[in-house]
Amino acid sequence: MMSEKRAITVCPASELPPGERKIVDTGDGRSIGVFNVKGKYYALRNLCPHEGAELCRGVVTGMNEPSGVGEYHWVREGEILRCPWHGWEFDILTGRSIFNPNAVRVKTYETTVVESFAVNVDEGGMVVVMV
Amino acid sequence: MKDAGQDQGLSLIDCDVHCVPVQAEEIVERLPTYFRTQGLVLPGGPGLPHPTGVRRVDARGPKGEPAGSLPEMMREQLLDAYGVDFAVLIEAKILTVGVHPDTHFANAIASAHNDWLREKWLAADPRFLGSMIVNPLDPLAAAQEIRRVAGSERIVQVAMTSATRIPLGDRIYWPIYEAACEAGYPIALHPGAEGKGVAGQFSVGFPASYLEWHTNLPQGFMAQLTSLLCRGAMSHFPDLKFVMVEGGFGWVPHLLWRLDKNWKGLRSTVPWLDRPPSDYVLERVRFTSQPVEEPPSHEQLLQVLEMIHAERTLMFSSDYPHWDNDSPLRAFPRLPAELKERIFWKNAAELYGLA
Repeated sequence: MMSEKRAITVCPASELPPGERKIVDTGDGRSIGVFNVKGKYYALRNLCPHEGAELCRGVVTGMNEPSGVGEYHWVREGEILRCPWHGWEFDILTGRSIFNPNAVRVKTYETTVVESFAVNVDEGGMVVVMV
Repeated sequence: MKDAGQDQGLSLIDCDVHCVPVQAEEIVERLPTYFRTQGLVLPGGPGLPHPTGVRRVDARGPKGEPAGSLPEMMREQLLDAYGVDFAVLIEAKILTVGVHPDTHFANAIASAHNDWLREKWLAADPRFLGSMIVNPLDPLAAAQEIRRVAGSERIVQVAMTSATRIPLGDRIYWPIYEAACEAGYPIALHPGAEGKGVAGQFSVGFPASYLEWHTNLPQGFMAQLTSLLCRGAMSHFPDLKFVMVEGGFGWVPHLLWRLDKNWKGLRSTVPWLDRPPSDYVLERVRFTSQPVEEPPSHEQLLQVLEMIHAERTLMFSSDYPHWDNDSPLRAFPRLPAELKERIFWKNAAELYGLA
């Protein structure tokens, strides 16, 4: 039986502007990074599938796509997360690695923004991640 | 896989055999007039001699001719003695002209050698295959020489020194690779020029004995292979193949594992490597077997062969008539029949288009 997903509160949307991230604990031992990429929220497990580093503390950057020798096609600025340990690149939007997208990936979670009447939340709402 | 070779009865292709002139005059007489006054003076070495010389004393000619200088003797001691179907000749001494500071002279020597090779050796026996020599210090001249020689009967590859001033992946060498691709020749790298002429030294400095020098030779091959991959030569020339001759093969698993591992995190620094580096190597780099690694147990050698995918990458070589040559009969332990065929002739037959 699939258990119901539950919503973990991340932070007010106003505290997570584009280009920023928040790392939250689920309360059951998991850590999740929530990223605002150009106004949309994405959540990744904060655990690199390689050697268990806290992936979501890595640098958010772009990447060079495959190119001819001496050419550098820098693309996807702000959409690529690099693990702080060995530099593996992950697509924040999908959780897939760049070097082997089918076999090496990190778990992704659904995010949403809910209305909240908590005192510190303005009309932007509250970011939550479904786990 | 083509099995045409089987119909021709192939069983042994020796991918590293060393011919030399009896006397320097054989080369000198083929030089342009002015350069004849210089003679065959090759770049000096670090002065670390082998105690009994690098050539087998039992392979000298009846009148004391240098080992490897007489086609008929090579026939007798190597081709006929072991049933060698094809022997790939590399004149490893003249090859070192590729680190000579006078590039004009080096170009002339390379051309004279290539003529000598065709006239003296390839004409002597249809089992001899030739490696044309080029001077990597002058890539445009080297490319021109490849085009001059291309299409010659039984010239099968372009040989260059494994020691260089600048690693071989660099774009300065690309005219050579372009010409080699046009001609359909693999590039073979062979040691010997390390520490000579203008060649760079091993990474940590000068060795102090022949043992130290010889043991460290694979360092250069490791650096060249890494350069060919990382600087994009193999990406830019998708048909170009390389043969690492006499550079060992026990280091190959380590290098490929390390390259693949680093590539996962550092891919963006070399975006032209769009697949794991080992993919390129397995497809387009071949290693010759001599000097065969001799681990304490045969089992360990078989494990190394498995790690390097020897059924695709390894080609038997004897290195006749050098001191550390390998016997086709005794160098390897008993191998599975299919693997033996791959190493002893099929990989070479495919690379050189002999099957």
